[in-house]
Amino acid sequence: VSARVVTVDRNTRPGVFPILFGMWVTLQNFVRTLVLRQASTIEFPEKKRNTSGRYRGVHLLTVREDGTPKCVACYMCATVCPAECIYIEAGERPEATIEKYPTRFEIDLLRCVYCGFCVDACPEEAIMMSRENDLVGTTRAELIIDRDRLMERAKLAEYGPGYRPSEHDVRRPVRIAALERLKAEHGIVPGMPTRR
Amino acid sequence: MPKCTIDGKEIEVPPGTTVLKAALDHGIHIQHFCWHPDLPIDGNCRTCMVEIEKMPRVQIACNTVVTEGMVVRTDTEKAHAAQRSALELLLINHPIDCPVCDQAGECYLQDNYMRYGLHDSEVEPEDKVRKRKVQDLGPIMLDAERCVLCTRCVRFEETVTGTNCLEFRSRGDHKEIGTYKGEKITHGYAGNLADLCPVGALLSHDFRFKMRVWFLKSHDSICPGCSTGCNLEVDERDGEVQRYRPRRNPDVNKSWICDLGRYSYKEVGATTRVTGARRKGAASWEGVSVAGALDVVAETLKEAGSASAFLASPQGSNEDLWAFKALAEATGGLLDFRVGDPQARLQKRSDDVLLREDRNPNTQGGLDLGLGRSGVAEILAACGRGAVRALVLQGPELLRLPEAVDALAKVPFIAVMATHEGPELDRAHVVLPAAVSVEDEGTFTNYARRVQRFRRAVPAPGDAQPRWEMAGGLLTRLGKPLGAASPREIFGLLAKSVAGYAGLDYKAIGALGRAIEEAGLAPTPEARA
Repeated sequence: VSARVVTVDRNTRPGVFPILFGMWVTLQNFVRTLVLRQASTIEFPEKKRNTSGRYRGVHLLTVREDGTPKCVACYMCATVCPAECIYIEAGERPEATIEKYPTRFEIDLLRCVYCGFCVDACPEEAIMMSRENDLVGTTRAELIIDRDRLMERAKLAEYGPGYRPSEHDVRRPVRIAALERLKAEHGIVPGMPTRR
Repeated sequence: MPKCTIDGKEIEVPPGTTVLKAALDHGIHIQHFCWHPDLPIDGNCRTCMVEIEKMPRVQIACNTVVTEGMVVRTDTEKAHAAQRSALELLLINHPIDCPVCDQAGECYLQDNYMRYGLHDSEVEPEDKVRKRKVQDLGPIMLDAERCVLCTRCVRFEETVTGTNCLEFRSRGDHKEIGTYKGEKITHGYAGNLADLCPVGALLSHDFRFKMRVWFLKSHDSICPGCSTGCNLEVDERDGEVQRYRPRRNPDVNKSWICDLGRYSYKEVGATTRVTGARRKGAASWEGVSVAGALDVVAETLKEAGSASAFLASPQGSNEDLWAFKALAEATGGLLDFRVGDPQARLQKRSDDVLLREDRNPNTQGGLDLGLGRSGVAEILAACGRGAVRALVLQGPELLRLPEAVDALAKVPFIAVMATHEGPELDRAHVVLPAAVSVEDEGTFTNYARRVQRFRRAVPAPGDAQPRWEMAGGLLTRLGKPLGAASPREIFGLLAKSVAGYAGLDYKAIGALGRAIEEAGLAPTPEARA
């Protein structure tokens, strides 16, 4: 194996030109940021970066008109969650049509991987994500947020809603996948709906 | 034995077998709702449609008896169409409230829809017939809307308990299940209604909203509640028992268990469990390690020698009893287990379904293993005379006996293995924390001399140990080791010397147990229906 050998002559002087070139680059950036205001950095936290409408930030629980959570404690989000960061305890509601609601609903935001599966899994559009992304706390316990903090929507106006199920219908592809699996595994072709 | 062909598979079945049972027994699934292996056939749900050669129309598999040379197809286009439309009919008025329904995950409608249905509903949710939801029937919550009118519950009430609590009213779309004037169900087998309901119409009040079933892991076990020895499924999550369900065993409990047994799961995770060993100090109890407590007991037993007595517990498994017997024999002390004469009630029924008056799971095992030796009265008399210097109890039964208090006061050293705290433990000098059956593995022998195996479902709390392990620890300390380090090995030793158990091992016992047949001890017929 032969290595490429480079010989550098340390005795020749580079002259003043490289220095001037460097200063020119600096001056260019100086003018661009300070005079033309074209800097890539922003003055966080006074300024916030603009994020997509599907940004997956801190979750929120949607609320019914009477102020109770829309969530029915079906555990779909807790089931699908790959980080296992959602803890739910269910209780009974007086309305027979709703029956169930979460008495406890906690998300460990430090465990959460912000994949948005909980939003996809929710059959009630009860869990959504906001665009809030500046998560600060002084203890770990502070960042396990409970039901009431998830339902508070104070910060929603500030950041705007993020990923939510209305973006696309997630159930249709699931059903088509189930049909295909059925055909592959059991050879069953259940009648796809035929309109009479 | 008629032979038939189902989906191209040649099957030979006993005469009188129905097509559905034949198919299910041979791994061919046909959807069904009203058919239940332990209930009379009704044939009302019409979902188990199959095509039978030479029959012009599709037939229900559940009520068609297999005849010689019958050719059945479950997978033709015609059969599928019939199965699908029957399922669609059941779903017409079904509220799709799976998110709040506890049955989700073990629901026949969900499972069958995913396999046989997958149609788009043509009924808007607003057009569905509404019925009464959330009706409290005591141990059961009734949601009439979810009901598919399969009458499983009605047939259960009719043939198993004979209580006839549930009936239908109204007709057509408005037909709904309910009790007379919404009265509560009070019989002791109500929990089975939630198990046998294929949908979420009848749900257990106790389990309601507690857990989604897909988080649970099931383990085979045996109910420790009475001498019947019903087969159980222990459902656990993260080491915490969430519920007991009956495990089907046609020879013992069919598909049922009593509510006493069902709700006894609460005792496993109770706050009153004994979680650590302790000994009586000068003024009060002192906590010690289990090994430390066993050292004390072994030391005392060495000193006492044959001036000791041992009382086994019919709550213990055969393995526990065997190890305890070895301990008694190593010391040469008195030995018995029949506190309160459980053997007299062993066969007696408490009701005419399953429950028996002997509330110990293993009295027969104690008798078989020869632990009924000195007699409890004899031991108590010896205690009263001051002839017993060390008494080792495998369970706290004797401490609870009022007539034993005086005699026990004369014993200078009492060690007890206990699972739960109680005032009676104050009469002992050393308390050892014992595991309950779902925290250990082993075998019970039921009233009909059927040896049945249970497996470990959850870890024991704190320092609690299986009783055989503590007896084994004492034997090692006495210099006469047991020679077995697991229940399986102990059973191997036991099978070598106990009459009737010869040739048995855990594999031979299997999932459904093995009856020991002996002249004069024929198993009595089990639950009605």
